[in-house]
Amino acid sequence: MWMGIFLAAAGLAIGILIGFNIPVILPQDYAKYMSVAVLAALDSVFGGIRAAMEDKFDQGIFVSGFFSNALLAAGLTYIGDRLGIDLYMAAVVAFGVRLFQNLAIIRRYILKKKFK
Amino acid sequence: MFSKSPVHISIMLVTAIMGLMMALQFRVVNQMPAGIPTDRAKEIIAELKQVNREKENLTREIGDLEYKLEQLNRGKSEAMLALESELKKVRMSAGLVTVNGPGVEVVLDNPELQESQVPPELSVIQDQDLLSLVNELWGAGAEAISINGQRIVATSEIRLAAPFININTTRVVPPYQVLAIGNPETLAENLELPGGLLEYFRDMGFQVTVEKHDELTIPAYSPR
Repeated sequence: MWMGIFLAAAGLAIGILIGFNIPVILPQDYAKYMSVAVLAALDSVFGGIRAAMEDKFDQGIFVSGFFSNALLAAGLTYIGDRLGIDLYMAAVVAFGVRLFQNLAIIRRYILKKKFK
Repeated sequence: MFSKSPVHISIMLVTAIMGLMMALQFRVVNQMPAGIPTDRAKEIIAELKQVNREKENLTREIGDLEYKLEQLNRGKSEAMLALESELKKVRMSAGLVTVNGPGVEVVLDNPELQESQVPPELSVIQDQDLLSLVNELWGAGAEAISINGQRIVATSEIRLAAPFININTTRVVPPYQVLAIGNPETLAENLELPGGLLEYFRDMGFQVTVEKHDELTIPAYSPR
């Protein structure tokens, strides 16, 4: 459990380090898609943590969910742009709500563990 | 599919990718000029499009106007050419340029005194004689006339001044060399007409010779 959190933090640090140091800069046109994709990825990670707390963690579901959520969110944004609707709102709301739900459940698990 | 491989690798991979995405996004957002909301950007883009369209229209207008200007300039140069040729023509007929061409040369001199039957006062060439000769030449279609190098123009006078004749306020003395540009045949024929001017001159005892020339040069009028 603690090993997993340590590894997650290390991965995050590595990723951020790479992201800040690679010379490529994303064109600003794609910044919107990337931001929604980041939100989806964040949701997936929190979902994974929650699943780990519940001892239901499944690697396949975690990894595939991470990528499919990110791609779907970016795709929705793109389609919304084409159609003239702010469709990324749907992704923001859905992932935002789930993010808070996951966070709440994680919090409860931690509190339960502490006061047992 | 990943359930066989160690859990930790997948967790690390996923979090690393997320970190990468976040960092990239952070950089892009930081790089973007702050304080421009999307709506404003859209507005500006629309404005830009319109301005571009306007610019296109104006560019087309510039081309149109330039074409017109070119047409006008071409017209201007044509008009200038026409005016110049008109000016040349007018200067020629006003006697302001030297002219060349075929014509006749009439040399008129006073009679030798001994031979004349008329009194010497009368047998001198008078201004009227020169006037009628010039008149006759004009009438025969002469285009330019000079007497002793004095071009006959609209304001030229031929008048007696004491014993001399003044032309263009310049004194001329016999023999009078009259040059006339025109059709030599016509000019000579007109002068030689039976009962014409030359016959009268000969009757008066003047020494007259008429020569046809293919090339004569008549000087320009030079006012004093």
